[in-house]
Amino acid sequence: MALIKINNLSFHYPQQRIASLDTINLQIEQGEFVVLCGTSGCGKSTLLKQLKRELTPHGEISGDILFNDIPLADLSPRQAASAIGYVLQNPENQIVTDQVWHELAFGLENLGVDSMTIRRRVAEMASFFGIQNWFRKNTMDLSGGQKQLLNLASIMVMQPELLILDEPTSQLDPIAASEFIAILHKLNKELGLTIVLVEHRLEEVYPLADRVIIMDQGRIIANDTPSKAAAALKQLSVHHPMLLGLPTSIRLHHTLGHNDEVPLTIRQGAQWLSQHYEAVDVLPIEVEKQPQEPFVINAEDVWFRYDKNGEDIVRGLQLQVAEGEFLSILGGNGTGKSTSLNLLSGLLKAHRGRIKLFGKALKTYRATELYNGLIALLPQDPTTLLVEKTVALEFQQMTNQTEDIKQVVELLQIEHLLTAHPYDLSGGEQQKVALGKVLLKKPKILLLDEPTKGLDGYSKKILAAILYDLQQHGTTIIMVTHDIEFSAAYCSRCAMFFDGQIVSEAEPVTFYSGNHFYTTAAHRMSRHLFTHTVTMEQIAALCNTQHHVGVHR
Amino acid sequence: MATAFHYSTVSMLVRTLVGDEMKSFYDYHPFVIFLYFFAVIGLTMFYMQPVLLIISFSASIILALFIDQTAFFKTAKWLVPFMFIAALINPLMTHDGELIILYVNHRPITVEAIVFGFAMSIMLLAVIFWFTSFNKLMSSDKFLYLFGKISPAVALLISVTMRLIPRFIHQITVIAHAQKTIGMDATSGSLWQRLRSLMRIISILISWALENAIETADSMKARGYGLKNRTTFHLFKFDRYDGIVTACISVLFLMQVMMSYLNWTHFDYYPTFTAIELNTPTILVVISYTILVCIPIIIEIQEALKWRSLKSTT
Repeated sequence: MALIKINNLSFHYPQQRIASLDTINLQIEQGEFVVLCGTSGCGKSTLLKQLKRELTPHGEISGDILFNDIPLADLSPRQAASAIGYVLQNPENQIVTDQVWHELAFGLENLGVDSMTIRRRVAEMASFFGIQNWFRKNTMDLSGGQKQLLNLASIMVMQPELLILDEPTSQLDPIAASEFIAILHKLNKELGLTIVLVEHRLEEVYPLADRVIIMDQGRIIANDTPSKAAAALKQLSVHHPMLLGLPTSIRLHHTLGHNDEVPLTIRQGAQWLSQHYEAVDVLPIEVEKQPQEPFVINAEDVWFRYDKNGEDIVRGLQLQVAEGEFLSILGGNGTGKSTSLNLLSGLLKAHRGRIKLFGKALKTYRATELYNGLIALLPQDPTTLLVEKTVALEFQQMTNQTEDIKQVVELLQIEHLLTAHPYDLSGGEQQKVALGKVLLKKPKILLLDEPTKGLDGYSKKILAAILYDLQQHGTTIIMVTHDIEFSAAYCSRCAMFFDGQIVSEAEPVTFYSGNHFYTTAAHRMSRHLFTHTVTMEQIAALCNTQHHVGVHR
Repeated sequence: MATAFHYSTVSMLVRTLVGDEMKSFYDYHPFVIFLYFFAVIGLTMFYMQPVLLIISFSASIILALFIDQTAFFKTAKWLVPFMFIAALINPLMTHDGELIILYVNHRPITVEAIVFGFAMSIMLLAVIFWFTSFNKLMSSDKFLYLFGKISPAVALLISVTMRLIPRFIHQITVIAHAQKTIGMDATSGSLWQRLRSLMRIISILISWALENAIETADSMKARGYGLKNRTTFHLFKFDRYDGIVTACISVLFLMQVMMSYLNWTHFDYYPTFTAIELNTPTILVVISYTILVCIPIIIEIQEALKWRSLKSTT
């Protein structure tokens, strides 16, 4: 008996001609770990919301959904609330109360469970998730990863049979995301919990899944084991945007055009490469280029703390950036990366050290000068820049030069969005609009705070193209990011931030082939054969120069 | 002398009653904490007798020091000068009293008025210190638990609000920063420009709040909010210690009320000071008041001693 059975489900949002879900047929068995993926707007979130009755949007529905062979609509409200758990994308917004213990108890309070039972279930869950150490903390004081774990735990106390997650790790840093995925895996393996997970970052999740469902334009286009789903997707179209989101090993396998079993993990990818290709070291090591003077940014021995009596967040930062560079600053959470970005943009003031912009001290610039053509910062949350009713108004508010607006709109390819309300756009589209607003000031230096957060593979590629274009026109770009793969593929220089300062910097190939842990999946997979490959494309290029070594050497 | 005596008797009393284990005053049941501050703040505001004022004032300082030294000195830095100013203004306004020191503009400045000014500001300071300690010891969840019983819906509302306020404050900074970098700076420019920037920040904040509230509402619905027969969970247990301390506070407080009713605590500043006689009623009032006011201090000292002995034995 399937836990979930969906028969011919179609769904239209009100006043929309195109169906958001188009005759979906799907069965999910008890204890399965299902990963649902697709590019933004493919209908995966809409499908998830159909599975959680309380969150189903208004619209025209046909077909039916059975939960344990009972139509979803016939479940009692109490059953519906507890049997199906739903974790949303944003860790902040889901937390309702101010205390961790109260948040854990919230669902059970709603179900009317008595105090003694709540006490036991909350204790049990807190121990399983390792929450006991921050059980009495204020929810405000938790890190993003802890918040999302708390959200998961406060669903799990209700003992759901089915757990649905809508991009739960998209707002987390890679380490917190790994921990979160590991907990999901544990829940599935140890408790037999059925999990349906929507995810963009597939590198880790993909091999863990029992089944992968790929959606496109409201339809299911692949529904099979991870390796077969990948093969099916490739068969459908070699240029399908979803292919960009697949794990590196699969993309490499596809690019090289093999037909044997697809490697899913780094380990399998490494073994598969050894079987087919020989070790070479031909890629020339580029001579390490130090940025040349004149520097557009020159920070010397910069120290910063938020509080007079607090600890220093930035400790002796040294940073030189030459014109036209695309620099990415990487490093763990809380190492001071974002703070440094705010220092460079002049929003925060260093208590020691010097920052020079175009050879002139940053503090001598007036704000009107600084933010009008010199430097611009694209914040992590694009909505902090959006106020107007339409995208076009957003741009007109920045400048009255229609020619400039036209140029920016062309560069970002957002003509079709001009009449839309900014809040109706997807995260990636909102970011483009915000970037457009910032670019209308024609900054010489563009600072980006985690621009790839929450973007799917295809959107990232578009963003990279835009940034490349800007760089070609002489804009200097500095980006703070957790996205190793993005930085390896597109940046001209990478810097590692640790303990309030930059500890190493180099161009991407040297930088990532010098790191052992903090490096791209492509490098980890291929370094035993080729010492200096850090992107999938580089591996593919090297492999293509070789004769095809037989499967059995 | 008197304090040492009370300390040892009370500690012996408590030890014999509950054994050696103790807990910090912060960990007592919210009801106990509330009852204590209700009694102490109430009596402090009511008593103008100088000895009792000094007792309450000193105890409020000691407790504040126990809880958070740096925070205490931070507030004291501002409050002490204020106290002196308040005390010196009174004799300029009031000219009652018999002990005249000098005349200013043909109006008498009296000792009584000066002393009353000081007494009044000491009383105010003591109340402020008691309230700061109360705030620290009575965290929001305890307060909610106590008053949530009256209306669970309001209690949840407060809990949700307590979460939203710090988020709002944080988001305002984020928005203000983002706006500043595109030339909308709410901290510089003409008044009109500043107002415009400020309006825009608030407008973005409101959109942000509404947008995010939808998701929070979803999260509440998804976890069954709105079902009938909601229960309220809490982490507090009323144990033996809570019972004993509640009894102590109640008895001592009732004693104070009775003694006040008998006029034993009465004191006049005008036309001149009431004499304080060293008789049984006065001694009884002072001793019982000291014990009442010092309960959390005694508990904290006891706790500290216990830890030290535990440390030295292991």
